[in-house]
Amino acid sequence: MPQTVREYTGSIRNTVKSFWHGLSITLSYLARRPTTVQYPDRTPMPVRDMLPPRYRGFLEVDTAICTGCQACERACPIGCIQISLEKDPANPKQRVVTQFDIDEAKCMFCGLCVEPCPTGSIQHTREFEATQRHIRNLVFRWSDPLKPFPVYKVDKNAEYYPRVPLGSLVRARLETLAWDRAAPVFLPPEPAGAAKPAAQPKVAAAAAAGAAPAKAAAPALKAAPTNGAPAAEKPAVVAPVGAPAADGVKAPAPAKAPAAEQAAAEPAVTLTPETK
Amino acid sequence: MEKLILRRVDRQNEEMILNFGPQHPSTHGVINFLVETDGEVLKRATPDVGYLHRSIEKIGELVGYPGFMPYTDRVDYVAAMFANEGYAIAVEKLLKLEVPPRAQWLRAISCELCRIASHLVSVGTMVMDIGAFTPMLHGIRERETINDLIEALCGARLTYNYHRIGGVAFDLPEGWRDKVLAFLDHFDKFLVEYDRLISFNEIYVKRLANVAVIPGPMAVNYGLVGPNLRGSGVDWDVRRDMPYGAYPNFQFKVPVGKGYFGVSGDSFDRYYVRCLEMAESSKIVRQALESLPEGEITAKVPRNIKPEAGEALSRVESARGEMAYYVVSDGTNKAYRVRVRTGSFTAMSVIEDISPGLMVADLVALISSLDVVAPEIDR
Ligand code: SF4
Ligand code: SF4
Repeated sequence: MPQTVREYTGSIRNTVKSFWHGLSITLSYLARRPTTVQYPDRTPMPVRDMLPPRYRGFLEVDTAICTGCQACERACPIGCIQISLEKDPANPKQRVVTQFDIDEAKCMFCGLCVEPCPTGSIQHTREFEATQRHIRNLVFRWSDPLKPFPVYKVDKNAEYYPRVPLGSLVRARLETLAWDRAAPVFLPPEPAGAAKPAAQPKVAAAAAAGAAPAKAAAPALKAAPTNGAPAAEKPAVVAPVGAPAADGVKAPAPAKAPAAEQAAAEPAVTLTPETK
Repeated sequence: MEKLILRRVDRQNEEMILNFGPQHPSTHGVINFLVETDGEVLKRATPDVGYLHRSIEKIGELVGYPGFMPYTDRVDYVAAMFANEGYAIAVEKLLKLEVPPRAQWLRAISCELCRIASHLVSVGTMVMDIGAFTPMLHGIRERETINDLIEALCGARLTYNYHRIGGVAFDLPEGWRDKVLAFLDHFDKFLVEYDRLISFNEIYVKRLANVAVIPGPMAVNYGLVGPNLRGSGVDWDVRRDMPYGAYPNFQFKVPVGKGYFGVSGDSFDRYYVRCLEMAESSKIVRQALESLPEGEITAKVPRNIKPEAGEALSRVESARGEMAYYVVSDGTNKAYRVRVRTGSFTAMSVIEDISPGLMVADLVALISSLDVVAPEIDR
């Protein structure tokens, strides 16, 4: 490209000038306060407290006001919520939630499950720091299979629903449970048509029925994969019957049997497989 | 593609076939370019896409209508708001829903903020690809403020999932409006500073002017959209020419590449059109906050969304250009077909024909000036 001397020197002058423009701006930032913060140890307060209230972090369920309507389960596009409802054997009018699992490892924190909840029981919290060594520990089990919680009866005139402070339940769990605790053990899938051919259809039915409480006879407990409730305050571990663990014999069906006369026919606790 | 690899390469010249990507930082994501070079000059660069295909369109057929909304965030994660909006508008057309005005205004506000955030990433990474690192940090810093604002609005910083079929999910939080106005005051000053910092830097201008020129007719033929099309001097903006939502109520200019330092359609034009667009978006947000109507934020949407059999097409002006959603319903609660038309995919197709004769380093300028986002190409 032919250039006159004037153009050539003009280019050099422009370069130096614009260079100086840019550098002067950059230099001015030397004197300003830095925008960055040092995470996690130099923040003025825990980061979760600095987040806006609408932050979509870990889900929390207040079981005291959950009506067991399963609206959240239907709304979730991934299907990482699993709810099972049963009749309370002691009081047939009362329904209890025997399983309320949220797989936070699969959850994409979209907030669709929060919106249809009639009582605000399921809510996003501002918790987000919950590293776990085992991914199965990210399955939050809000209902203890041994102590199913009764569904909440909505009072039509209630102005608000008494909810525990948002985030306190998740917080308590994360603080009491070690991040590197052992993962719950799941039974390996049944070999098809092997030792327990009778149990097979029931597992299939339970999986197919999804949320519907699977009505299985007592022996079906063996077939349904169970996992130990990892919470420290809930030491009753539902271990597989076949497992050698001594306290695993404290399986739910025998424990419940004296309490309810029809328990043999219709056990209160039947765990569906972990995933749908 | 196979033909290209197997073609005999004359070893007398310095011809080489190089793989540029898929892990190269300048490809803006996982894209592969098969680059035929002769020394420093490109013979051809063939984009090879598909590394980030996640079957989002298929997922749209498998989850229900409301459930697909969070997946649309993942179509273009740098500007997720537009994908939300496009899908919502398409389903609203199927349902023949009227969206309340406040929701439309909130949509416009959130989208324009998102456009600013996306363009900041675009111009920032472009400058970084050319070789200046500082301006990118300035851009990212401003974007961080927008992220904070949007986080306060809808709870997420990247995958917003803010729009709903029939409206938006949340109303403005308290004090948000003042925060946005304060930010915009700061941002208008920032744009001037940014121009001084890098846009008019002589080295930068010389590096981009007259490089990888896409003439207007060619841009139209290749289906380029958005800032890439406008950078080539074609005056087309869906917001103005096929208005949707609240846009007819706002006054804004559509910046067009005029060949600021070279010819119209060069890399600098595509870059600078984005800078100008940010200023226009800032104006739109101000006007929208000014004239925000009161009222509902969602229309009455049936709990079980089951549109009548039919089809609907929605077009929105995304940060990367026109984004179209084509939704076919067969009367059930799941879509029969969801199709997303995105700007990055067509932008990839033009590279092969523009690249012959470019220098290798100019290919980087071309790719980053087209502002492609890899997940948007493949979906
Ligand atoms: S936040 Fe979304 S993905 Fe997570 S459980 Fe709720 S609906 Fe499912
Ligand atoms: S958490 Fe809410 S939506 Fe889910 S079952 Fe309980 S009451 Fe219903």
